[in-house]
Amino acid sequence: MLAYITRRVVYGVVTLLALSVIVFALLQMSGGGPLDRLKLNPRMQPYIQQLTKQWGLDQPVWKQYLTWLRNYVSPCVERSQGCTETIGLHNAIPFVVLAVAAVATVLIVMKVRTYWRAGLILGLWVVALFVAIQNMTIAFDWGISFQGAGPVWDMIFSRVGATFRLGFAALFLALLIGIPLGIYQAIRQYSFFDQLGTTAAFVTFSTPIFVIAIALQLLLALYLEKWTGVKLFYVTGMNSPDYGDMNLLQRLADILQHLTLPALSIALISLAGYSRFQRASMLEVLHSDYLRTAKAKGLPRRKIVVKHALRNALIPIVTLVSLDIAFIVSGAIITESIFGWPGIGRLYINAIQTVDYPVVMSIVMVIGIGIVVMNIVADILYGVMDPRVRYE
Amino acid sequence: MPEPLLRVEDLRTYFATEEGVVRAVDGISFEMYPGERRGVVGESGSGKSVTAMSIMRLIEPPAGNIVTGQIVFQGTNLLELPEDEMQRIRGGKIAMIFQDPMTALNPVYTIGDQLMETIMLHQKVGRAEAREIAIKALEDVQIPNAEQRLGDYPHQFSGGMRQRVMIAMGLSCNPDLLIADEPTTALDVTTQAQIMDLMLNLAEERGTAVMLITHDLGVVAGFCDTVQVMYAGGIVESGTADDIFHNPQHPYTWGLLASMTRLDDARKHRLHSIPGAPPSLIRLPEGCRFRPRCEFAVDVCRQILPVLSPVGDDGRLVACHRAEELDLKTLEVDAASSPQVDADPAEGVSA
Repeated sequence: MLAYITRRVVYGVVTLLALSVIVFALLQMSGGGPLDRLKLNPRMQPYIQQLTKQWGLDQPVWKQYLTWLRNYVSPCVERSQGCTETIGLHNAIPFVVLAVAAVATVLIVMKVRTYWRAGLILGLWVVALFVAIQNMTIAFDWGISFQGAGPVWDMIFSRVGATFRLGFAALFLALLIGIPLGIYQAIRQYSFFDQLGTTAAFVTFSTPIFVIAIALQLLLALYLEKWTGVKLFYVTGMNSPDYGDMNLLQRLADILQHLTLPALSIALISLAGYSRFQRASMLEVLHSDYLRTAKAKGLPRRKIVVKHALRNALIPIVTLVSLDIAFIVSGAIITESIFGWPGIGRLYINAIQTVDYPVVMSIVMVIGIGIVVMNIVADILYGVMDPRVRYE
Repeated sequence: MPEPLLRVEDLRTYFATEEGVVRAVDGISFEMYPGERRGVVGESGSGKSVTAMSIMRLIEPPAGNIVTGQIVFQGTNLLELPEDEMQRIRGGKIAMIFQDPMTALNPVYTIGDQLMETIMLHQKVGRAEAREIAIKALEDVQIPNAEQRLGDYPHQFSGGMRQRVMIAMGLSCNPDLLIADEPTTALDVTTQAQIMDLMLNLAEERGTAVMLITHDLGVVAGFCDTVQVMYAGGIVESGTADDIFHNPQHPYTWGLLASMTRLDDARKHRLHSIPGAPPSLIRLPEGCRFRPRCEFAVDVCRQILPVLSPVGDDGRLVACHRAEELDLKTLEVDAASSPQVDADPAEGVSA
């Protein structure tokens, strides 16, 4: 298994290198450089040359790429602007956390034989990543934003918390509703409820997210307040301005009031997909021979469904959800824009519009790393769920 | 005669499909006695498996429904039992072994888990004791290293070994009736006889009655006491295995036997084949269902569905208008003169 993971990691690195070359080339070919807007302003003329030199835009493209790549993977001890940290023991905390999580995963795979061990592993990694990011003191030199907003590393990591909060809330909602919904629909196939769920899933799935988001804003915030006078949800931002003065309970309520609508917008679409997928995979299992065996043994229906059917029907869902997590890391671009959510997605849109090479490159690479890592995790989880899978 | 273990009376199991109602089992009656080995033979779609599934009440509404009939097992009509009491019968009193051992076991649980689950369900024992019983059950079906193999998953077993596990699972609770639905069809020939021997010996030791569903007449001849031949959802002939094989009285049974290759037969003639195909179970022909393919059919066969009735006094039951007059035993099979068959497609040869 170790050999398998090593090989997958090597493939992953190659994939990421290819991705970086392609994206770098695309940015160069896209026409319009980061300085074009400044050139329109005659008073900026004296600075253009200086900035071109400072940002390395006078270098040949391949050299620019190599410089970027070298910086991207260098841990930063002294960045060009204000980086004074030195690498010490305290910098190692996130890596220790991740290493502990990895060891724990292996132990769970080997020792725990419970039904929910895949869920246990998933939960463990969510917590581990959260703690690791919170304690991340080491940085990489991902360059300086052309917009003058400081080091890219800081820009991204100051937004990771917001993106994760929204993403995991949406994922949680989607799983909590979507999976049981699909299971129930499969068990009561062709019932009124099943037909209703199918119709609803197709409608939400084919509605663009900006329509859903705006509809939710209108219905659950604007009109709800207008008609009942109750301000239940906010439509923009992560916190109220007076968040700092609130007590713990008020803070929690404030967070939820801001979080609900954007999370629900994303969740509605994901859960439509999950419920369809879960329904299909459950139906397949419900018609399998081994379920007939379970019935012929005299097992009660509930046990047949929960122990024999669900365990098998969840296997393909694990892959689906693992890959979805990668997209959550990248931020919900449209939703974040609509709800004024200070996450990575909004930063990304901004960076593309202003041709901010370092920011665009960094975010694309973060997404890429997320997908590669979650792909490997999904394959490992698949083996945890299904004893027939062998790593070779 | 002792009290029958199982008495099936006028069982009708229908399936609703888009093309119409499929009359998979259409009014069959039979009895089984404790310790009896009964072979149920017939072509695919003759209603053999549906009969078994009906007895176990594994037919799933709304598509499938047991329309009428009684299935009296040890004095209780199973069709009137509430679901929770039926669960105690399934796997406990009546066990079932299915055709394809490759897919009949849940791939994500170990053999031990699946065996012990059955044992703990029907016998009031704890985990440790269930484990002992499971090991014993695997040893009984001659699986080597039974104790270690408990921890293995189904995919680590071969087809024959998996069918042994299924047999162990079926017999682990000492059922009174074992229904084996083509238990060796999916296995290769060399293991077929082993598995069959093993299953029947174990059943005999325990005094378990066996209903063996198969389309392999050779298997029936070798292993069964009694035989019922099914065609298009009905029983056409039943009796002791000896009688059926040496003195078939229904033209369909005769046709089946004549189409069998036999080692003890001199190569006198070509192998016989029954012309045509079984009728569609949605549009069954008027009168006798075998009539369109029968070379002995007369006018009455066209109009009246023959009922299964006694012929002679050895308990033989035949559903044929001409059972008394035909002497199929002495009939020379002559494939050269192809039988005149009234195969009218309008009267439903299955599509």
